[in-house]
Amino acid sequence: MNENSLCTKTHEYVLELGNGKYETGITDYAIGQLGDIVFIELPEVGSEFVKNEVFATVESVKAASEIYMPVSGKITEINEEVVNSPELLNDDGYENKWLIKFDSDADQLEFADLMDYSDYKEELE
Amino acid sequence: MVKQTFLHDEHVKLGAKMVDFAGWHMPVQYTSIIDEHKIVRESVGLFDVSHMGEVIYKGKDVITFLNKMVPQSIDKLTDGKAVYCQLPNKEGGLIDDLIIYRLNAEKFLIVHNASRVDEDINWMSLNIGDLDVEIVNESHNYSMIAVQGPKACDYIKNLGISDLPPFFSIKEDLLFGIDLWVSRTGYTGEDGVELIMKNKDAVKIWRNLLSHSEDFIVKPIGLGARDTLRLEACLHLYGNDLDENTTPVEAGLAWSIPKNKTEAYNGKEVIENQLKNGIKKKLVGLKMVDRGIARHGYGVFYNGEQIGVVSSGSVSPTRGDNIALAYIKNLDNLTVGSTIQILIRDKYCNAEIIKKPFVQKRNKDSK
Repeated sequence: MNENSLCTKTHEYVLELGNGKYETGITDYAIGQLGDIVFIELPEVGSEFVKNEVFATVESVKAASEIYMPVSGKITEINEEVVNSPELLNDDGYENKWLIKFDSDADQLEFADLMDYSDYKEELE
Repeated sequence: MVKQTFLHDEHVKLGAKMVDFAGWHMPVQYTSIIDEHKIVRESVGLFDVSHMGEVIYKGKDVITFLNKMVPQSIDKLTDGKAVYCQLPNKEGGLIDDLIIYRLNAEKFLIVHNASRVDEDINWMSLNIGDLDVEIVNESHNYSMIAVQGPKACDYIKNLGISDLPPFFSIKEDLLFGIDLWVSRTGYTGEDGVELIMKNKDAVKIWRNLLSHSEDFIVKPIGLGARDTLRLEACLHLYGNDLDENTTPVEAGLAWSIPKNKTEAYNGKEVIENQLKNGIKKKLVGLKMVDRGIARHGYGVFYNGEQIGVVSSGSVSPTRGDNIALAYIKNLDNLTVGSTIQILIRDKYCNAEIIKKPFVQKRNKDSK
């Protein structure tokens, strides 16, 4: 995972790509906890979500987990590759584990409760 | 306080992910549910099932007693034979499902579900009346290891038990020099055995089973794969597919109920009436046609009307699709080949009713 990612308490990460663009996915810890990922449902490009709204579902063999928007934004791209092959999220050699890319002009306040990746990892211990 | 089996520390050492299940701290997976599932379909898997309840029923009247507790004919069992049974309440709803073993004419072993053993024993006790029956809960004295898979019996024979009991039978034997019970049963649809041993011997047997596997691929398997394996084989899970509001006839278990049993048993009136006149709800097998995984509790729809609810659902690692069991209204036009809908989150997803079991069982003709 990119060390510059910011993480939520609900185990999403958000990474700033510049020019108001971001990518989001679930953290490496979340993937480890879920185990075999067998189904991913992502929103349509162009749809808009506010912070903390459910935008996706990731299912392991055992259960379905809702994935929350870390900051408000409008979806510009979804990762079709992981939708078609959800098990790629469990593949240590696979790099592109993001779920969505989105544009955001969210207020800085929306970032206030996000943790640096290092703090997130510390919190887990 | 969450209970631990005598193999708990072994699971932790093997790197298992532990979860609370029916009041027990149990391994849900060691590496990957899907990989573990495939091991059991291809080779040999070991399961710690020590959370299951082992209860001895003994006394001069034990056959009479058990015969009035279950729809099955306990008087037909011979020494060392076992039968899959249900434990109905007076309305025919199921308190539990059980495996009943006849050890001898005055001594039976019953294996109960971990989550139900206390309720079961209470219900059994309330029904003894004047009969000469004593119930001894041995659950905390015994451990149980299931050895399952197409190579499981070869593996056990290789370890020295040359003469395995036939399907649904039990015998005493020695393994690694330790006295134990060997039962030809399981919960995966594969051939294999379940070993019942004194708690103090559990770690030694578990370690030996894992380390003597030179010519066999033998791996520990968690409860996650146990669930997907039993679902593919359409073996019911109490709490999901069976409960006190569901009769064995509704659950598709009529095959296990003798038609000519003369003795009275709890729920007999309801069960026999359903066998003769039919049922209002039935358990069907489904495969998802649209993308999505049906889960326990999701609604089942037909022509926009809710006709039932999913009792179990998951991926099928063997088939490579998504499968489910659901209770639906017993309508004549809803049969194998029919398309119905499952409400998954806010979408109606098509599913097709298909034949059960989802994966053919390979233990029926075990020798």
